[in-house]
Amino acid sequence: MFNSTGFFQQVIAILAKDLRTEWRTREIFTFMFVFTVLVIVIFNFAIGADPETMRKVAPGILWVALLFATVLGLQRTAQLESEEDCFQGMLLALRDRSVVLIAKVLVNMCYLLVVTLCALPLFSIWFRIDVASHLGPICLVLTLGMAGLSLVGTLFSTISINTRTRGLLLPLLFLPLSVPLTISAVYATTDLLQGKRLADISDYLTLMSVYDIVFLVLSLLVFDSVVEE
Amino acid sequence: MSGEMMVRLQGVTKRFAHVWALRGIDLELRRGRCLGIFGANGAGKTTLLNILATLARPSSGQVTIAGYDAVREADKIRPLLGVLGHRTYLYGDLTASENLQFYGRLFGVPNAHQRSQEWLHSVGLDPDSRQRVRTFSRGMQQRLAIARVLLHEPELLLLDEPYTGLDQNAVGRLQRLLDDLQAADRTIILSTHDLARGLAVCDEILIQSRGKVVYYEEAASDLDITGFEQLYAAHVQ
Repeated sequence: MFNSTGFFQQVIAILAKDLRTEWRTREIFTFMFVFTVLVIVIFNFAIGADPETMRKVAPGILWVALLFATVLGLQRTAQLESEEDCFQGMLLALRDRSVVLIAKVLVNMCYLLVVTLCALPLFSIWFRIDVASHLGPICLVLTLGMAGLSLVGTLFSTISINTRTRGLLLPLLFLPLSVPLTISAVYATTDLLQGKRLADISDYLTLMSVYDIVFLVLSLLVFDSVVEE
Repeated sequence: MSGEMMVRLQGVTKRFAHVWALRGIDLELRRGRCLGIFGANGAGKTTLLNILATLARPSSGQVTIAGYDAVREADKIRPLLGVLGHRTYLYGDLTASENLQFYGRLFGVPNAHQRSQEWLHSVGLDPDSRQRVRTFSRGMQQRLAIARVLLHEPELLLLDEPYTGLDQNAVGRLQRLLDDLQAADRTIILSTHDLARGLAVCDEILIQSRGKVVYYEEAASDLDITGFEQLYAAHVQ
C-alpha cells in the first residue's frame, strides 16, 4: 500500500484522464457545439432581421443554448463514468471524495469554455453584435455563469449517475436550480452589450458570485453522502 | 504481522427499501487468510463486499477493517483495499497502460508508469499496446482489472467473481497470483459460484443464503470438492 497523493495531484489526474478521453473521441464537444450552433441559427431565423430585436434577445438565446448544451455534456460525462462502474473505481481510489467533485467541475467548465469560444464568433456574426469590444466584461460574466452551471450540474449528474432515469432526473433537478444564475447572466450580458460598464452590472455579478460560492460549499458538504450507494 | 485481526463484522444488516439484503452478519478474519463467500444469486454476497469496500453503509451493525470503523473512517480504509467488482472499473477509450497509470496516480503509486508496465506483463497483456480497452475481449479486460486491483499493493483484496471471463490459462495465472499474495500475508475475500476453484484457494468458507450466514468454518484439509458440493447443497435452498 502506498501513501495517497495530494488533493491537487489527484484532481489533475482526473482532469487529464477526462481531457485525454475527450481529445480522442471528441464526442462531448461535438454534441455540445452542434447543439449550441443549432439553437443560435434556428432562433436567428425565427426572430427575423430587425437588429434592435436581435440585440435584445440574443443574450437570452446564448445562455439558453449554453444551459441546454451543459445538460447534454453532463449526461454524456455521466454515461462515460457509469460504463463499467468507473465512477465507483475512482471513488475507491480516493481518501477525499471531493477530489472528484472539483475535478469534474473543472472538466465541465473546460468543455463549456471550448464550446463558448467556438460559438461566440458565430453568435456575433449571426446576430450582428459586436462582442469583441466588450470581451473582457463578457468573459467575466461567462466565467461566473459557467462555474455555476458546472457546479450545480456536476452535483446533480453525480446524484443521477446510478439511477435508471438518469436522462430525466438530471434536467429535472438541474434546470430549475440554474434559473437564478441564468437570469442574472442574461441580464448582465444584455446590459454589457448595450454599452453599460462593469460597475453598472455589479448587482448581477454579486448574485452570480454568491450563487457559485453557495453551491460550492453546499456541494462539498453533501458530496460524500451523494456518492454513497 | 500475521494473525492480527483484519476484518470484523458484528450484526451487520443492510436493507434496500423493504428488502433485507443482509440479516445480522458476524464475521472475523485474520490477516493473511483467504475467505471464500459462496451462495446462490441474491444471497447478499455482493452487498457484503460493497459494505466491506466502503461503497455502501450497513443499515445497522459494525464493520471494522484493520482496526478502522468502515463508516466513520472509510477514508483510512480505502487505500488498504483492492476491489474487483462485477464490472471492471476500466475506461474503454484509454489504453491498458493509461488505465493503470491513472489509477496508479490516484493511489499515489511511485513510478506509476513503470509499475503499470510490470503489472501488464504479469497478467499477460502487452504493455506497449496502443489498443483501446473497449476493443479488448472480456478475458483481457478481466486480466487488466486484476492488474488494476493489485497495482497499489493493497492489504485486503475483495474479489467478486474474479474468474469471470478468464480462460484456463488466465485462471491458472490468477490462482498462482492469489497463492503469491497469500504468501505475502495479504488478506483475501472472494465470492464465487465456482466451488472447486474457491475451495482450492480459500482457508475459510462462508456460505450465505438469503442474507444470512448459514455456514462459516475453516476449510478442512480433507474436504474435497464432492464433500463441499454436498455441504453447499445442504445449506443453500
